[in-house]
Amino acid sequence: MSRTITIEPVTRIEGHARITLQLGEDGRLEDARFHLTQFRGFEKFCEGRPYREMPALTARTCGICPVSHIIASNKACDHLLAVDIPPTGEKLRRIMNLAQLVQSHALSFFHLSSPDLLLGWDSDPTTRNIFGVMRQNPELARDGIRLRQIGQTIIETLGGKKIHPTWVVPGGVSEPLSAEKRESMLKLLPEGLEIAKRTYAFYKTLVPRFKDEAAHFGTQPTLFLSLVTPQGNLEHYDGVLRVKDAQGLILEDQVPPEEYGRLIGEAVEDFSYMKFPYYKPQGYPQGIYRVGPLARLNNVQACGTPYADVALAEFHMLQDSGPIVSSFHYHYARLVEIIYGLEMIERLLKDPAILDTRVRARARSNRYEGIGVAEAPRGTLMHHYRIDDDGLITWLNLVIATGHNNLAMNQSIREVAEAYVDGNAIEEGMLNRVEAVIRCYDPCLSCASHAFGQMPLAIELRDAAGRVVDRLTR
Amino acid sequence: MDKTLIIGYGSPIRGDDAIGPLAVERLVERGLPAGVEAIARHVLTAELVTELAGRERVIFLDAAAGGEPGMVQVHCLEPDADAHSTMAHFLDPSELLAWCRQLYGQAPEAYLITATGACFDYAHCQLSPVAEAALDRLLEQVERVWGFEQDSKI
Repeated sequence: MSRTITIEPVTRIEGHARITLQLGEDGRLEDARFHLTQFRGFEKFCEGRPYREMPALTARTCGICPVSHIIASNKACDHLLAVDIPPTGEKLRRIMNLAQLVQSHALSFFHLSSPDLLLGWDSDPTTRNIFGVMRQNPELARDGIRLRQIGQTIIETLGGKKIHPTWVVPGGVSEPLSAEKRESMLKLLPEGLEIAKRTYAFYKTLVPRFKDEAAHFGTQPTLFLSLVTPQGNLEHYDGVLRVKDAQGLILEDQVPPEEYGRLIGEAVEDFSYMKFPYYKPQGYPQGIYRVGPLARLNNVQACGTPYADVALAEFHMLQDSGPIVSSFHYHYARLVEIIYGLEMIERLLKDPAILDTRVRARARSNRYEGIGVAEAPRGTLMHHYRIDDDGLITWLNLVIATGHNNLAMNQSIREVAEAYVDGNAIEEGMLNRVEAVIRCYDPCLSCASHAFGQMPLAIELRDAAGRVVDRLTR
Repeated sequence: MDKTLIIGYGSPIRGDDAIGPLAVERLVERGLPAGVEAIARHVLTAELVTELAGRERVIFLDAAAGGEPGMVQVHCLEPDADAHSTMAHFLDPSELLAWCRQLYGQAPEAYLITATGACFDYAHCQLSPVAEAALDRLLEQVERVWGFEQDSKI
């Protein structure tokens, strides 16, 4: 009798999703799928709106990463204006983007994933949550809160508010930075960096415990896509696109972000509201690639800041050679990027030109098409707009970081389910590992609902006729 | 650090949900007494726990969706680790208090003052007439609560 196991909702991720595992007559896995069950429709209802509304409108896609949308959207608007924004305006935007990286990665590592990493995948699900972490390691929990607070405070200092700031505008930023604000942000950084280094050192001691998970959590070969600097170093704001394969061969390099359509196609499937982007030259569904911290670190030679470069070298030693293939090591990569983000924010703030008052270029639209690409915490984020003579949006395409990883996430849950799920004797810990591989990617499915902790998890076994023959809940 | 912290929270673009942040705005305009700090937030995020630590009293101001529109209520709050909001980026006030007690040893005396809204449609910091009238009563309750002695109860 074939059966389907449904994990719904997937917990400790951003948004609503479901996983189904299809088992055959012998209880072995036949198929596994990750379903995005919510529909947003931004690409449709933004049509007809003035392009200058896009940063504010598209930022509402998410309450966790509005800054990322604000950055990518304003870059698309810069492209429509056909202006080069003043260098200080760009640096200020970079600081905000990095602060977003720090706070988002802190949320993912400390709040969403640390219960599994510290308490274990097989621990009691009623205590496998942030309170369990607080009891076991209160210093780590306090560090996570403080690190997130530092990132949020920098965003608020620059943008006036933590969520949906309106300071980034087409052409630059609306206000220059004051010396007082610069000092207030600089004061936060030593503590933040100390926390980041301490957490990184602690996590390195945990990694050897996870050999089994690292060997099964998304180790199938894929490509890696990210922005890099023209020199091939870590880049989150600008730069060029690079695609590397699982053996470390660079397939695409120095690709201007405006040419993303040459690299990426988008497919749809009837079981999910998330698109399935793929690498065009390899076709669908073979062209699987990953984005985000793992891809970014795999794609670069250096971060460009002192301590992060040491950590990057250690990251590359997780494997004997080649790019790090296990998606489990997204966690490790996130910690390296937190260090990088704090170091780079400090460097940018100490730049004497950061107080320059020329921070915005002003123009009307001078193009009918604008493309903005930046690295969001979860990966490469692309905003693409077309406008008419009145500046109204006639078409837009958003390629979201989590979407890039869709094929890889589906592949990963199949791999984990094959390794851990025994259809004849289901245990909660098995299913938690299936969820946990998704958490490695830190998917952000929307800002509509952000589930974590002890949401009810129901797994049903159904026979071929759809009848429920067994049910496990928590 | 001031002994009393007031946190008004809610979305500024969802009609009467803005009553918490607007209440804070009014309080600041009127002038806060010594030892009282007031902040406005969109939602209660995890890092707010550091603002609670070390305070004697915290007063949360929020819009309520249930009950008679315009009704103002004062609730005593206790830390509740089971009050999981199940949300990754915003918390229930009782959960926030539980975080504070767990991480910093103790939680402040806490109150939640709510005003039931009439309309939560899109509107930027614009209250319905019913909520506007309730705002004054809510502020009266805030002033009562911050004047309490430590052992007072409602």
